Amino acid sequence: MPESELDKHYEENYQSPLWNLVKNRAEQKDISYYAAYREVLPEYQKTIRYKDAEWVMEQIRKRNMEIIEQRKANSK
Amino acid sequence: MSQKIANKVVETDVLVIGGGIVGCTAAWKAAEHGLNVALIEKSKPERSGKTGQGMDEIGIFPGRDGVTTLDALNLYLGGRGPSSLRAANRVLDPNVLYKIFDNALWALDEMERMGISMRYVDGEFGWMPYGSYPNGEPGPLIELRVHWHNVKPEMASAIRKNGIKVFERTMVVDLLTNNGIVVGATAVNTRTAEFITFKAKAIVLGTGDFSRHYNPSPPPCWKYKMAYNNCPASAAGDGHAVAFRAGADITRTETMQPAIVRDEILLQPGQFYLNDGITAKTFNWKGEEISRPEGPLEYLQYFNKGMVPLYQTLEHLPDDFQKRLEIHIMDETPLRLKLHGDRGFNPGKHWYQVAGNRGSHVLSGGIVIDEYFQTTLKGVYAGGECSEACGIGAGGALTAGMSIGENIHRYVSTAPEPVIDKAMVEHQKRTALAPLSVKDGTVPMELECSIRSICEEFAGPIKTEGMLREGLRRLSSLKRAFLPKLMAINPHYLMRCMEVRNILDLAEVHFKTALERKETRSGSSKSQFIRLDYPENDPSLDNKHFCVRMENGKTMIVAKEVPELNQEYAKEKN
Repeated sequence: MPESELDKHYEENYQSPLWNLVKNRAEQKDISYYAAYREVLPEYQKTIRYKDAEWVMEQIRKRNMEIIEQRKANSK
Repeated sequence: MSQKIANKVVETDVLVIGGGIVGCTAAWKAAEHGLNVALIEKSKPERSGKTGQGMDEIGIFPGRDGVTTLDALNLYLGGRGPSSLRAANRVLDPNVLYKIFDNALWALDEMERMGISMRYVDGEFGWMPYGSYPNGEPGPLIELRVHWHNVKPEMASAIRKNGIKVFERTMVVDLLTNNGIVVGATAVNTRTAEFITFKAKAIVLGTGDFSRHYNPSPPPCWKYKMAYNNCPASAAGDGHAVAFRAGADITRTETMQPAIVRDEILLQPGQFYLNDGITAKTFNWKGEEISRPEGPLEYLQYFNKGMVPLYQTLEHLPDDFQKRLEIHIMDETPLRLKLHGDRGFNPGKHWYQVAGNRGSHVLSGGIVIDEYFQTTLKGVYAGGECSEACGIGAGGALTAGMSIGENIHRYVSTAPEPVIDKAMVEHQKRTALAPLSVKDGTVPMELECSIRSICEEFAGPIKTEGMLREGLRRLSSLKRAFLPKLMAINPHYLMRCMEVRNILDLAEVHFKTALERKETRSGSSKSQFIRLDYPENDPSLDNKHFCVRMENGKTMIVAKEVPELNQEYAKEKN
């Protein structure tokens, strides 16, 4: 990998937004991470467009077509 | 020391070996039918097995577009199934797979009845597409998203409530047979070294996969259980080994597939971090995007062009998918997000390496079963990753366990009263407890590292006859020189000694069957069987699998026809 790309692997102080929510909730309420996750999950889920099945399918189709094109390009 | 340890005898209708999904569901269901059930688990069922840390999805199910079980089967075997099933051109009994698909939704209902949460956060089933058609359209097979970060404690609670006698920290030594029928098994408590004889009419094996014959990354795996998905530290092939030694057939022991090592950000070719149908982008080390390698052969081509290591990334995903990714990780390995954060790794953005020729590998085969999950040894049942229907994952394990539990009472009601051969028990006791008496011997981990090194160096995904023969010679040499010198400084080490005995037996089987398959069996799969000295496919081996068993102390290998799909199933219409 070129030198300039090495920082793609790691960065300082990366914190997953979901993990932060879980950790903070666990500390605030003095409960386990598992229990905190149970509480946080429904709130976090509301911020995701996961019930839009057609949109999801469209994303899958789009990526699959990219892969098909990539394979064609590679075989040339 | 063995003379001082008293025998304990437990009588039961059914002995379940392994407290994972197969073991817990089979035990729970068998007990519902009024059977007396005991379950042994070398760890604790609350957090043991592949789902010990959690699970984010189970599958696969016939799904959209009104697909029937038969449609699903054809789609699956036609190229959209797990690599292990496609590896050697339909080497899995299709009737087994048919039964798994056909009973999958029933098994889900049973799981809910067991008290396991199957619903997504909104209370609905979280179905998602699995695989795609060649033209890029999402396929009709589906998987179920689950928040299973606590599934094992829930399952363990269910079996304990159902009256199943759970023997935790108890490691199986070997099965007991009499006149070709299983009559029980022996086991050792890994905290007290108590030797236990189980007298049972039937046995269920649910011991997970076998992956400890190759090097983990990073080694040694027993210190890094958190890092593994397909390669939990417990996966010593205990079920494979005891079935093999007792005379049951095991199959596809020559094939293998790369394991997923997630914390070290090393994934198998084509594997994607997120189970929502979108595939990662693949790059060579120069940062040029390429098509992902579909298996070791394609990886080798990239290697020969000097393009490796390869990397994948999910940075192209929309924000919604990035958030889904976080939830997937929390559901399957909750602490992984913390570990990633500690190391500065953003799984949604950073690159991770694609496994190539080296790294940890999982055996792609298992114990031969029929469509009722019966092995070739009467009275022994098997399911999940230790069976030949491995690679299907939690969905296959769940269906197998529930199906075995539902039907095993039929066998138990007609099985003869088990008669234990005391000489066999004494022999197994001596074998199991001998390391406690050895001083200045070899610790089991040392022997395990040597076995793994030999497998890495002389087998691996790309094999040749000379290398396989040399590897086998070295394994035999290790066995002669060091197995008798295994030393257990405490009962926990005794468990490790028994594990390494199993690993060594199965590593030898791996080499022996790889030598028998004098061909290369390719196809677009991750677990291709590659012999550089036999680069062509041998048509005489089409639809055949090598079955291996121990007979009078010798390894017997026979190429058997894979059964055709039962005509009754083949005629199925909706």
